[in-house]
Amino acid sequence: MQIEIQITPQRIAETISPLLAGVGALAEFSGIVRAEEAGRAIAALEYEAYSPMAEQVMREIIAEIGSRHPCLCVRVTHRIGIVPVGETAIQLLVTARHRVEAFAMLTEFMDRLKQDVPIWKRRALSGDEFDALKKS
Amino acid sequence: MRVLLFAHLKDATSAAELEIKISDDLDADGFWRALLAAQPALAKFRPTTRLARNGEYADAQTRFSDADEVALIPPVSGG
Repeated sequence: MQIEIQITPQRIAETISPLLAGVGALAEFSGIVRAEEAGRAIAALEYEAYSPMAEQVMREIIAEIGSRHPCLCVRVTHRIGIVPVGETAIQLLVTARHRVEAFAMLTEFMDRLKQDVPIWKRRALSGDEFDALKKS
Repeated sequence: MRVLLFAHLKDATSAAELEIKISDDLDADGFWRALLAAQPALAKFRPTTRLARNGEYADAQTRFSDADEVALIPPVSGG
């Protein structure tokens, strides 16, 4: 199984999925920053990661899930730093021979990410805070 | 020993990393005692904070030495 992980402050662009021989299913998930956090309007979230450990833990999680649900390729891109509302904070692309494995990888990985991968929403920025940050 | 802090633990100490000196190999309880002697403000976070030694989550058998890099991992919230 091919595993590709990137933790980046750069905006996540649309990507071309890795189409390997045997691919019969492609599942894609993008986590988008909502305009509301804990009941209040926000303009952006700031993410922080312990990047070396986060990448290693993600690889272990993907390998463990892949041992039960064999997939061909898993590509994870997680953004860090300031991520404005409406932009992608995490993108997950999974290819497999069949849809069942691809869906299982996608949902189980996202659950495990939120339990074990050392990445944090550092703070939620209001419109005023985000504007002040852009001007600084 | 280098200790890394993240998220709100950084705010509690006003530091992203700390240096503490330990003389022996310690278990997790011993590590926390040494850490809290230097940074008592972290005490209230101990019940919800996991330890990672050199980039891997610690378990009940993990021993910590002065050459290790230890990260304090508060509840994660990625994605």
